[in-house]
Amino acid sequence: MDMSDNGRIEIEKVTKIFRREDEDIETLTALEDVSLNIRSGEFVSIVGASGCGKSTLLRIIAGLETPTIGEVRKDGETIKGTDEKRGLVFQDHSLYPWLSVWDNVTFGLKSLGRYKEKKEYAGQLLEMVGLSGFSKSYPSQLSGGMSQRIALIRALVTEPDVLLLDEPLGALDAFTRMNIQDVLIDLWKETKSTMLLITHDVDEAIYLSQRVVVMTPRPGRIVDEFDIEMSYPRERSHSQFVEYRNKILKKLNYAHEQSIGYYI
Amino acid sequence: MKDRSDHINLTTKELNELERADESFALRFKKRVIAALPIVAAVLHLLEYNYYPNYRLNTCTEVYNRFIGILLIAYAAAYILSFFSAKVYGYIYHKAAFYTVLMLLLTAYDFATLKTGKLALPYFPWVDSILNAMIDDREKLFDCVVHSLVLLFNGYFKGVVAGLICGIGAGWSRKISYWVYPVAKVLGAIPSTTYMPIVVMVAASLFQGAAFIIALGVWFPVTLTSMTGVQAVRKHYYEAAETLGTNKAGILFRVAIPAAMPNIFAGLTQGMSVACLTLVVAEMMGVESGLGWYVNWQKSWAAFAKMYGALIIICITFIITNGVLNIIKKRVLRWQKD
Ligand SMILES: Nc1ncnc2c1ncn2[C@@H]1O[C@H](COP(=O)(O)OP(=O)(O)OP(=O)(O)O)[C@@H](O)[C@H]1O
Ligand SMILES: [Mg+2]
Repeated sequence: MDMSDNGRIEIEKVTKIFRREDEDIETLTALEDVSLNIRSGEFVSIVGASGCGKSTLLRIIAGLETPTIGEVRKDGETIKGTDEKRGLVFQDHSLYPWLSVWDNVTFGLKSLGRYKEKKEYAGQLLEMVGLSGFSKSYPSQLSGGMSQRIALIRALVTEPDVLLLDEPLGALDAFTRMNIQDVLIDLWKETKSTMLLITHDVDEAIYLSQRVVVMTPRPGRIVDEFDIEMSYPRERSHSQFVEYRNKILKKLNYAHEQSIGYYI
Repeated sequence: MKDRSDHINLTTKELNELERADESFALRFKKRVIAALPIVAAVLHLLEYNYYPNYRLNTCTEVYNRFIGILLIAYAAAYILSFFSAKVYGYIYHKAAFYTVLMLLLTAYDFATLKTGKLALPYFPWVDSILNAMIDDREKLFDCVVHSLVLLFNGYFKGVVAGLICGIGAGWSRKISYWVYPVAKVLGAIPSTTYMPIVVMVAASLFQGAAFIIALGVWFPVTLTSMTGVQAVRKHYYEAAETLGTNKAGILFRVAIPAAMPNIFAGLTQGMSVACLTLVVAEMMGVESGLGWYVNWQKSWAAFAKMYGALIIICITFIITNGVLNIIKKRVLRWQKD
C-alpha cells in the first residue's frame, strides 16, 4: 500500500452564511473566519454547543457545501465537490435498508469499479469490527451499534485519506459507545486515515483524539485547541485525562458566559 | 411438563407445545371439533343435493357432486395432515369458520334455486348448471381468457413503463416534474374509461385503442407514487452515495429507485386494479372479444348460467394476476421489516 502522507486538510478563513426563506430576516452566519490545519493521519475532534456550525464545517470539507468566503484544501488542492477520498459518516448510520450488510459495505467499491480488486479488504474490515457473520443480514436486523460499525467500514472501504465523522456515536448507549470508541482507534491505526470527529462528548474527544478543537456558536468560531499528550490506550480515570476534561469544560463554560445558548 | 435443565434450548415447535401444554382436554377437543365443521357442512350439503327432491322440472348432474367432492377431499386431507403438522392445524383451525359458512351459503343457494325455486330462473341458475355451462363452453371461455390477458398486459406494461419513466423522472428532476406533474394532475382526475367512446371512434384498431385506455389508467397511479417515492428519499442516502464516489447515474439507479420501491409497488398494485376495471369496461363497450365481451354477449341471449360462469372466471383470473404481482412484490421488498 502506498503510504504517502495524503490527508492533509487546510481550512483557511472559512465563513459560511446561510440565506433564510424570508428575505427580510437577517442571514445566518453558521461559521465565521474559521481556520484550522490538520496533519496527515492526525485524529482531531471538534467539540462545541449545538448550532455552532460543526456539521456545516464537516459538510464543507466533504464537498457537500461550499464556503461563502475562504477555502478548504486537501493536500494543497482546493476542495470542489465530493470525492471518495473524503469519507463521511452520519449520526444516523444511513445504511441502505434494501441492501444486505455486505452490499452496503461494498457499495463504494462497486461505484468505483473496484469490487473485484478490493472485496478481500472489505471482508477484512468486516472481520475487524466483528461482524463477518452478518454479511447476509439486512440493516433492519442489526442493533444500533452494529449498524454504526457497518457505516464506519462502508466509509473506510474506499480507503479515504480523510474520514469525517459527524457524531457517529451520538445515538448509542454508553457501553456500546465505549466499545465502538476502541473499534474506531483500531480502524484509525489500521487505515492511517486522517480522522475528524465531531462530538458532544468531551470524554470521547479526549479518549480518541490527538487534538481537541473547541468551537462556540453565534457565529460559529474556533476558540481554543488542546493537544492531548497521552499515549493510547487512554485511561479515563487518569489524572491527566481528568485535567484535560476540566480544562475543556471550563473553556466551554467560559464560552457560555460570553454568549447565550445552551450546551450539552 | 418437560424437565428443565440449566440451559433452555427449544425449537419453535417445542415452544408451541410447551405453551399449549396447559390447555385442558375439553378445550383441545372443542378446537378439533371446530376444525372438522367444514367437513360436516360439506357432507350435509351433498346429502341435501342428492336426496332432497328437485323443484318441478329442475334437473341436475353429477358435476356438482364432483366439485363439492373435490373440495371435501382436499379439506379432509388437510385435516388428517393437521394431526402431524401444527402449521397445517393452525391454518385450517383459522379458516374452519369461513369454510363452514361458505358451505352453508352454497347449501342455502342450492336450496333456494334447484330445490324450491324460490329464486327463479333464468336469473338465478343453480351452481351445477353454471358449472355445466362453463364446461360446455370451455373452448370459447379459454379463448376469452387469453384475449383478455393479452389486452390486459399489453395495456398494463405500456402504462407501467410510461408511468415509471415519468414518475421517477419527475421525482428526480425539477425540470421534468415542472412538465409532468400538471399533466398527471389533470389527466389523473378523469377516469380513463371516460375516453372510451372517443377512442372507439378514433382509434385505428379497437385493440390498440383499448390498450391505450388501460395504459392511461395505469400510467397515472404509477407516475404519482413513483414520483412521491423518489422525492421522499432521505437526503443522507444521496450524500452517503456521493461521498462514496457514486456518479449521478449510480445514485439514480442504485439509491433513488431502490429506495422508492415500496412506493412504486403501491403504484403497480393500484395500477393493476385500475387495469382490470378498465379492461372489463373496454371489452363491454367495444372490443369484440374477451371475458367482458362474453359476459355482455351471453346476457343478451339471456344465457345467465354462462354469464355467471364468465364472472367466476374473471374473478379467478384477476385473483391469480394480483397474487403473482404480490409474490414479486414480497420478493423485491423482502428487506422490509414485516
Ligand atoms: N442548509 C442550511 N440552510 C440554512 N441554515 C442552515 C443550513 N444548515 C445549517 N444551518 C444553520 O447553521 C447553523 C449551524 O448548523 P450546524 O448543523 O452546522 O450545527 P452543529 O454544530 O452541527 O449543531 P448540532 O450539534 O446540533 O449538530 C444552525 O443554526 C443551522 O440552523
Ligand atoms: Mg451537527
